[in-house]
Amino acid sequence: MTRSAPFEGVGYVAPLLVLMFVAFNAPIAYMLGFGFWEKSRGFTLEHYAGLLEAPVYLRVLGNTMRIALVATLANILIGYPLALWMRGLGSRARMIALALVVLPFWVSLLVRTYAWIVVLGNGGLVNRGLQWAGLTDAPVAFLYNEVGVTIGMANVLLPFLVLPLFAAMIRIDDRLLQAAASMGAPPRMIFWKVFFPLTLPALAAGALLVFILSLGFYVTPAILGGGRVPMISNLLDTLINQIPRWEQASAISTILLVATLLIFAAYRRLDRRASP
Amino acid sequence: MKRRAFVGAAAGLPALSILGSGHARAEAKEIRMIEAGGKSGDSVEAGYIEPFTKKTGIKVVRESPNPLGKLRALVESGQTSTVLMELGSGGMLQARNLKLIEPVDWAAVAPQPMFPEAKHEYGFGYQYFSTIMAWRAGAKAPKTWADFFNTKDFPGKRCLPDYANYALSFALLSTGVTPDKLFPLDLDTAFKRLNEIKKDIAVWWKAGAQAPQLMKDNEVQYAICWSGRVVGDPAFEVNFAGGMADLSYFTIVKNSKPEDRAAAYKLMHEMSIAANQAKAATVVSYTGPSPDLDALLPKNKLGEYPTSKQNKDVQWIENAEWWATNGEAVNQKWEAFKLSL
Amino acid sequence: MIGSSPWARRFLTTVGIFGLAFLTVPLLVVIPMSFSSARALTFPPPGLSLRWYETFFGDARWMEAMGTSATVALISSVVSLFLGGLAAYGLRRGAFVGRGWIEANFMAPLIVPTIIAAVALYLGLAKVGLLGSLIGLVVAHTILTIPLVIMVLGVAIRELDIRIEQVAWSLGASWAYTMRKVVLPNLAPSVFAAWIFAFIGSFDEVIVTSFIAGKYETVPKKMFNELILEVNPTITAVATLLIAFTILALAAVAFILGRAGKLRPTLS
Repeated sequence: MTRSAPFEGVGYVAPLLVLMFVAFNAPIAYMLGFGFWEKSRGFTLEHYAGLLEAPVYLRVLGNTMRIALVATLANILIGYPLALWMRGLGSRARMIALALVVLPFWVSLLVRTYAWIVVLGNGGLVNRGLQWAGLTDAPVAFLYNEVGVTIGMANVLLPFLVLPLFAAMIRIDDRLLQAAASMGAPPRMIFWKVFFPLTLPALAAGALLVFILSLGFYVTPAILGGGRVPMISNLLDTLINQIPRWEQASAISTILLVATLLIFAAYRRLDRRASP
Repeated sequence: MKRRAFVGAAAGLPALSILGSGHARAEAKEIRMIEAGGKSGDSVEAGYIEPFTKKTGIKVVRESPNPLGKLRALVESGQTSTVLMELGSGGMLQARNLKLIEPVDWAAVAPQPMFPEAKHEYGFGYQYFSTIMAWRAGAKAPKTWADFFNTKDFPGKRCLPDYANYALSFALLSTGVTPDKLFPLDLDTAFKRLNEIKKDIAVWWKAGAQAPQLMKDNEVQYAICWSGRVVGDPAFEVNFAGGMADLSYFTIVKNSKPEDRAAAYKLMHEMSIAANQAKAATVVSYTGPSPDLDALLPKNKLGEYPTSKQNKDVQWIENAEWWATNGEAVNQKWEAFKLSL
Repeated sequence: MIGSSPWARRFLTTVGIFGLAFLTVPLLVVIPMSFSSARALTFPPPGLSLRWYETFFGDARWMEAMGTSATVALISSVVSLFLGGLAAYGLRRGAFVGRGWIEANFMAPLIVPTIIAAVALYLGLAKVGLLGSLIGLVVAHTILTIPLVIMVLGVAIRELDIRIEQVAWSLGASWAYTMRKVVLPNLAPSVFAAWIFAFIGSFDEVIVTSFIAGKYETVPKKMFNELILEVNPTITAVATLLIAFTILALAAVAFILGRAGKLRPTLS
């Protein structure tokens, strides 16, 4: 921007900010406040101390982050080439591919998760196929463990990475790449030095989105994990609805929130450094 | 339906004002309840709400689902619109400890004879359900919990509930402890037992539908599940022996309006009538608390119900008080156990 | 241009097709299951039958849930797109202090665990008397889908060369005209992606909705409740219908856009 008045452009965000404050920030602050309060004693950090003394809940948090990271990497490894391939298709094929990426969205999360049971189960399609092809002679356990959960999560999250990435990729003008080629750059250099950096912001944003979404997954780990993949949202559900200990739930959520905001801040710093 | 309700209301008004014991009170035209939803909610509608609305003209608006957190949020936010909340036995005691519900005015309910455990100070135990062992038809039939946890002589994968209060109790019973000596739970022995067979436990279910589905798909051969999902289905065989009988309760929400409560107590009265309970049992295989219910249930299906005489005698009742006190500490051990799977 | 070496081309095609197959596998399973005559979710289906469609269309409660879901999703996704789009533009083009904090605030509904957000929204909506109402659902769903919109549009707006807008202004175009004729057309693919995320985000939302919807039923809430109590292939019929609807809608969009010659990549 040319001018640098301190409040320039604030009108764009004001309506949303007001809505957020009233409908979200205030109630959330109230909820998280439970973590710092004990009815008889007032402000206290004893809930956090309790979390450190009995660290099983923090271990579940760590477990969740690890699984989220793996799911994000899987998404990047499949999603980036997929988006790149779609970019190179003719316009008719591209529309079909785009439709196939968007279509699974419409199948509710619950139904998709149950579909994976049919596919990955001991008597499911994959195992039947493997045995028919003679690659294995006993069913491989794809389900009710971390593998199944990661596959289920990756399947749900892939469009979140692919769509924005694809949108960014098709806006990169081919002539830019042709210009580089005409100056003698080999294809590999064109990709890594010209194309990839231009897609990096969209990739980073998509990866961050997928990671954050993975942290909060509830349905898929509950059903595909078979109780053996404890993740934080299921734990919080127990603490809010079953036990119930809102104080601990709030403390854990605050830690999760702070950790994620730090990651988000790091992302924004890299982002700002990379952009002009 | 509208006309009938109008006529019903006109007939019901004098009855309600008698309940008001002389005070000039507003009458409730409609009350709200939060219940579990699905078939269970349908059974409440068919068995109890229909005759209630017919007699009094008061409508009942149902809302579902019924997580405990919702009740706490309800009371925290000062809402007075909902009067009835369905809770499990553990949930009801947690709610009592957190001061979210009021004691039931049993004099106002004036119930027909009920089993004693269903007439709780803080709730009306309207629905018995059992947690029992089940297996795929054709697999070797276990007679006791020791059999069920014996993976050598009874080979096959198991599906156990991802709920500490079920899994730990049954594990302990399998070591030879009798139900009357079960509490306080010997946690170390229980966890040891589970660790012994954990590689044969394929799935820990959280949703009630998972276990029967897994048995149908032959992913597991044995399961511990809620009785209503497996009885009467030729694909499974069940054994009520050593099973746990538990109750779902309807409770009175704190700060609810007096006229709503008056209506709620009348609804609870309907829940105590054996004929209504029989009707509810046709929708879902769980039974009400009347000792006279057996006579009204279809003879050929008596084996399917939690409180038919043959089944009630071999089961034990859940000790919700112990869990209300110790649930949190046990939960930490349970989460650690799951991380080690 | 990219992947012009045969090795690279083969690699891309393999991964691309694998990726698409991976995405569509659930569809290929769900659609046949909806025509199954069996009561449980078995595959392949033992026989064909339309009973689950009959159950769905014949049940007034499913129809009502569908109506509620569609209404809430439509309204909340549009509101979310509008407010979120404006906010994303302000965050990228604006120069006011605290942009980082404000953006983090807008992303918060995604980061805060859903069950916490559910209770918080319950308390918040109760305070203003919107609990158990359609407006309350719209407000909640809007807040929950805003982060997706801002993320997608934020990246796209930043990629949009500001000089195009400046050129338009210097030529005398008004703010509204610039938005309509310069900014939005260039952002079209991202706007579409953002809207889809918002719509689906609302349509699929189950945890918060279970808390605040009161007596309203939405499709996922009904499915979730039923799955807890019984597994029923009706949900596969619902899914197949939605898929069919999307195919028709996308085909219509492609037809319209194709006519208007907007399907080729444009200089941005």
